Amino acid sequence: MSYFDNKVPPKREDRLNTVIAHQDSICGLARKGKGGKSCLIDDGERGFTQGTICLLLPALAMLNSLPDNVVLLHSAVGCGSCTHSQNANVRMGSNARRGKAQDGIWLSTALDETDVISGGEDKLERAIIEADRRYRPASITIVAGCVPGIIGDDIDGVAQRLQPQVSAKLLPVHCEGFKTKIWATAYDAVYHTIGRNLLEEKGVTEHTPQDELEVLREQERLARTVNLMNVSSMGRVDEQELERLLVSLGLEVNVFPVFAHPDSFVKATRAALSISTCPTHDDYFLGYLEERFNVPSIIKHMPIGIENTSLWLRDVAARFGFEEQAERLIAAEEAELKEALEEFRPLFQGKKVFVSAGEFRALATARLLQEVGLEVVGIRSFHHDHFAEVEYEKLAREAKTDYVVDIANVQPFEEANLLNRLKPDLFLGHANGNMTASKLGIPTHVIYNTGLAYIGYRGVYELARRLHRQLLNPAYNRNLAENLRLPYADSWYQAEPFSYLNTRGRSVNE
Amino acid sequence: MSENFVERARYLCSLGGAAATVTALPGGIPILHSASGCAGNFAWTQNGGSGLQVGGYCGGLTVPSSNVQETEVVFGGEDRLREQITSTLKVMQGGLYVVLTGCVPEVIGDDIFAVVNDFREEGAPIIGAVTGGFRGDSYWGYDLVLQALVKDYLDKGLAKVKGRVNLWGVVPYMDPFWRGNLEGARHLLELLGLEVNSFFTPTDTLEGIREAGSAQLNIVLSDLYGQGAAALFKEKHGTPFVTTSLPIGVSASEAFLRQVGAALELDSELVQRVIDREKRHYYQILEPLTDCYNDLDLQRYAVVVGDANYAVALTRFLADDLGWLPVLTVVTDRIHENGQPAIAARVEQLASGFSTNVVFESDASQVLGHLNQVWPRAAGQKYYNAFSPAFVVGSSLDRELALQIGAPHLSVSFPVANRAVLDRGYTGFRGGLRLAEDVFGQIVANR
Repeated sequence: MSYFDNKVPPKREDRLNTVIAHQDSICGLARKGKGGKSCLIDDGERGFTQGTICLLLPALAMLNSLPDNVVLLHSAVGCGSCTHSQNANVRMGSNARRGKAQDGIWLSTALDETDVISGGEDKLERAIIEADRRYRPASITIVAGCVPGIIGDDIDGVAQRLQPQVSAKLLPVHCEGFKTKIWATAYDAVYHTIGRNLLEEKGVTEHTPQDELEVLREQERLARTVNLMNVSSMGRVDEQELERLLVSLGLEVNVFPVFAHPDSFVKATRAALSISTCPTHDDYFLGYLEERFNVPSIIKHMPIGIENTSLWLRDVAARFGFEEQAERLIAAEEAELKEALEEFRPLFQGKKVFVSAGEFRALATARLLQEVGLEVVGIRSFHHDHFAEVEYEKLAREAKTDYVVDIANVQPFEEANLLNRLKPDLFLGHANGNMTASKLGIPTHVIYNTGLAYIGYRGVYELARRLHRQLLNPAYNRNLAENLRLPYADSWYQAEPFSYLNTRGRSVNE
Repeated sequence: MSENFVERARYLCSLGGAAATVTALPGGIPILHSASGCAGNFAWTQNGGSGLQVGGYCGGLTVPSSNVQETEVVFGGEDRLREQITSTLKVMQGGLYVVLTGCVPEVIGDDIFAVVNDFREEGAPIIGAVTGGFRGDSYWGYDLVLQALVKDYLDKGLAKVKGRVNLWGVVPYMDPFWRGNLEGARHLLELLGLEVNSFFTPTDTLEGIREAGSAQLNIVLSDLYGQGAAALFKEKHGTPFVTTSLPIGVSASEAFLRQVGAALELDSELVQRVIDREKRHYYQILEPLTDCYNDLDLQRYAVVVGDANYAVALTRFLADDLGWLPVLTVVTDRIHENGQPAIAARVEQLASGFSTNVVFESDASQVLGHLNQVWPRAAGQKYYNAFSPAFVVGSSLDRELALQIGAPHLSVSFPVANRAVLDRGYTGFRGGLRLAEDVFGQIVANR
């Protein structure tokens, strides 16, 4: 039985033994990868924690991008208000893809005290019907937050009951935040509903072969068509870079799932290959495409950095027997890029950098930073699972000294302590996650922003160019550090950075 | 307005408003007793809606949070909260810690006060507020935090000090111009010689807030926000309160000063002198705009879309100060029918004699429909009295409307995604000048 036969996808702590609270080093994690399995790491619990995000946020980042889709949150009114910032990406992304900046449409059933007591299914039903009539969307994604998860509302049952009455495709998505601490479960939650609801061709009959040559051409085209799996942290500029590389190998490219029309997902089942750009993002779905529709996939390496981009391309080329073209392309691209990077190397020489983001993004970016001549001195990965083992090995191989890896779902208090000790010259962090380093006076740069280039060969150059710019004048952050303080007690900086790891439950009993 | 959903809600939940409010207090450290994602959701929301302001001393992803999981849902979360408070007091340096609850611990029935009171008894500067998201919106969350301060933090039984007032009704981060608006209103009160406790400006202190019970009067710049706390304050500390509209611009500031002056029985000559002087300054500054106001034909029809504070205050400013024609005023809060007349009354009798149409509508996509009701569309006639030239003052969600009717637009009310706001404010005489600069600036942007 497939996971997709169930209403709710499994959480990643169960499916992948993913952990979020662990202290290690680059060599330690690389050794664990070689010697055994990451599942040997037991997840910890911190006795002091700071707020982070839940799976609802990354799920909404994907769902809000879908054109012609309305997001209907079934929760208290605050859940999903994060869309106010994600909407900037929706506007920019729709402008880049369709020439018009368009706002997303997100709604909330705004469950109140009465609903908490008497249940919210009736309200949800009425909301679905009204949303269908008011907006006439292709799909309505019904997204459950914490409250329905506790009071027991059955969003799948409601969707099933109402589907015959509405013209929009109803897509239930499970984002009950308290149920998983691994927010990457979000990708599974979204893919789960895509897999269950958008991949079957409805009402399409066999095309009668009008012209045999046309049929052959179509078959030939599909044989070299690939699914390029994008992520919501990737802008159009990054997709274009990857498309450019794949097209130069003679491939045709379908880009999924972010900004893809709900009606177009069915095309994913016809491609010759699916290519992941982030193993954290795609394994659940690509496994299903393979198992259910025989679409093979590659899920290894994130095309960030020179080595990773080339490895990623080689893997794709090998599937089609295009190795020679790929080698020529890679040699030309690498030579041109390396020459262009020379301009920045003198300023990067001897500079130390700390990287913080979702695991794959952090590690691939760290590798890129090594390649342009910076020294990585610390990494904070938001979680850890076995997909990243190979990345730790790549980094360990090039590391000058063993350095700290903090597996933490943000937790800036640990970061403040670590940065105060390591005193890096540069910090790269996730959106809304650079303020700690900034206030410590460290030059910072955001590790993804959908308006900026990060991916492929072009991404290496553009990121290096931006870091060079940051380092040329870091006065903004320096001024902050001279005039502001972080909200941590002085004694915290004297304490061990991992003092609160695995203390949960103990301090109460002491 | 839909009965069944809110479209692109222009606010967060009560926990979101409460957390932002505590962050805005001097030395305030929120401790969320909630699921892990609430804090991140608030940070992302402020990032997109509060004019580029996220957090402060302790906001955003820095806020301590118990991050309750399924275990707590099954076994209760009070132990986890106790542990989190203990560690927070060690790690975080603050002047006041405020435990705020989210949906999950409330639905499962955690009693936070049982935990918080143990720490209070040991002398920790900590209070709690029950702010679960299903209780209301972020404006109500602001009110709940003020209520908690009134109940558990302010010193009781203080003698009233003549000329001392508290100033409420501007909600941090939900009003992207909160800092400037508080400063502007505070400045007006200081012109009358009053000593103002505004809680959230850089000049406010926790010591001052503790002594807020000594105020002679509470001034609430809102028909909604802070009303609950003001009523509770009266009950607990015996200070009466006066409700005013947000005093944006010259006409509203004059009325505000008179209203406060009357409530405090200030010397009316003093009040008049202040008003005369400020108006003289205001018009002296406005004077050189006169040529261009006429030559560029800067009078506009307008649609105003905003929260209960802004919708009426902006309408009044446009009509009474600028001489514009705001024909539609859209109040975006979901206000119970009983509460609607008081807000509508704010713009019923404008000094200019111009009258607008007030609707209560939360959903941006429905505003054009309301405008079409108020101002019928052209029906192919040769001569048509068009809704043009027009202007939209609203939030960044109302850009779509502005595009549809071919009007320039200014974001003022939440969400403000497309402006950088630090301490700009529109209250007071000077605030009116700022707002005039901003709307006229939009009109001539391509000049």
